[in-house]
Amino acid sequence: MKYVIVGNSAAAVGCITGIRKVDKESPITVISYESSCYSKPMIADVLIDIPQEKLIYRDEKFFEENKVELILGHRAVKVNTDSKVVVLDSNELVPYDKLLISTGAKPFIPPIPGADRKGVFTFTELSSALAFKDYIKKNGVEEVVVVGSGFIGLEVAYFLAKIGVKVTVVELLERALAKALDERSSQIVETLMKEEGVEFIFKDSVAEILGDEKVSSVKLGSGKVLKAGAVVIAVGVRPNTELAQTAGVKVNAGIETDGHMETSVKDIYAAGDCIECLDITDGKVKPLPLFPLAFEQGFVAGLNMAGKEMEYLGGLPLNSLKFLPVPVLNAGIVTPPDSSYEVFVNDRFEEKGFYRKAILKDGKLVGFVAVGQIDRVGILTNLIRQKIDVSPVKERLVELDFGLVDLPQWWREEKLKQDKTAYKDWRAV
Amino acid sequence: MGKKRKLMKVYPIEENCVSCRYCEVACTMVHSKSKDPVKAYKLENLLPRATVEVKGAVSLSLMCRHCKHPFCFDSCISGAIQVDENGQVHLDEEKCVGCWNCVLVCPFGAAHPYVSEEKRHSFKCDLCGDRGFPACVEACPNRALVYDYER
Repeated sequence: MKYVIVGNSAAAVGCITGIRKVDKESPITVISYESSCYSKPMIADVLIDIPQEKLIYRDEKFFEENKVELILGHRAVKVNTDSKVVVLDSNELVPYDKLLISTGAKPFIPPIPGADRKGVFTFTELSSALAFKDYIKKNGVEEVVVVGSGFIGLEVAYFLAKIGVKVTVVELLERALAKALDERSSQIVETLMKEEGVEFIFKDSVAEILGDEKVSSVKLGSGKVLKAGAVVIAVGVRPNTELAQTAGVKVNAGIETDGHMETSVKDIYAAGDCIECLDITDGKVKPLPLFPLAFEQGFVAGLNMAGKEMEYLGGLPLNSLKFLPVPVLNAGIVTPPDSSYEVFVNDRFEEKGFYRKAILKDGKLVGFVAVGQIDRVGILTNLIRQKIDVSPVKERLVELDFGLVDLPQWWREEKLKQDKTAYKDWRAV
Repeated sequence: MGKKRKLMKVYPIEENCVSCRYCEVACTMVHSKSKDPVKAYKLENLLPRATVEVKGAVSLSLMCRHCKHPFCFDSCISGAIQVDENGQVHLDEEKCVGCWNCVLVCPFGAAHPYVSEEKRHSFKCDLCGDRGFPACVEACPNRALVYDYER
């Protein structure tokens, strides 16, 4: 058996971990055009001079111990499913028996005139983060416009403000992180960002990026012009499905996979930001480009590739804003779509520094927000995952001391006494 | 997979727990520099890795379960959380960057955040690794915590 993995981030590492649970010996080859296995969610930290070694997610020792051959610095450009080989940009052929496509996501760049000027950056790869840092340093950039107020945009903006760069975030919607957070937590985040010096312009967009060779300002849809020595475009990512398409794999919003993470083409699996995934909170299939999910999907793919049948549990949106002094966590549905949902709020942010909100549907938790005091909120995440009836304790869900004593006794019996903590044990009840 | 792991961990027995919180005190103390319970809380600002929960007549002490599938390990972006060959889940507080993903996904609420201006990292039960025997089990006066092989 020969395993090949294209990509070298969370899903790839998850896959290696999964394969090695079952098959300790067969060769694994990882192909990546990048030069190391670094932590993607940590790249913005280069702006505040995080030591390079801290960025390493898995070092050489990990690959050695797991008997993984690394082909770095080369792109996989094509998959030939007849002869079962991956073709590299060097024309080298890498044969596989089981292939994982974990090619991640690409930054979405809206068609803004001038977006090809020097000084316009995206922020999904270490190389682009380092190039951006280098650019603002070399050019003495004092003002930056960040387009988009998602997790990447806000983190970049926050760190720029920290290092003394004047930064303005331009967001099309009416508040920050509007897709991930509810109104109250968005407002808290905006306040914390503004305290650090970040400015926001909402309900506006960048109509044109102006300058000569290099960017010098941006013109907004409203007509307003902002001085900008550099622009960061962070309006979201799209699954990178190019390689999958060369294999004839079925692609919708992302690569389609079955419950075993196998694609429409036999022996080709996919995991991570390149796929579309079931969101268990609303039953819809969509891209959910999140680190923990990528790892888990890769892990499940790895088990199946190595012959251990395992069904993926499905994903859910979950985020942690790691750069703010105040932790902001969310999972599932944070704003009820209609009146059939129940909402519980415990807002003591002004006096005590915390805010919690829980959203229920039919007696089951479908989402929450936790700001400030976040200890033990993973219990809530699991309640969403396992779809446990919490109607007897629904008012308690937003209390700081909500705990396992609030859960049904059978759950504690199963998890604490019987150690039912294997992957399959976390299915919905 | 499927095979029994040779891993010992701490099991709470809620029928025996009287919520005295000796486990919390012992935990904080052995993980302190001073090895003094009061100093550990007051000067070192340490927090226990065992959490005593109380609701009416029910109480129990809860700490890391070293899950067979640890979601914290999946979610850890820095590589600070690792699983050893026995299945014990380790959290390297120095390597941890405080992204709080483990706090967000632990089904037991056993990975805790330490948030201060100087330091941000998660922490959890390490089974008193360098001590040889979990201090909370030793401290428990009522056999509400036992150290036993994984089931």
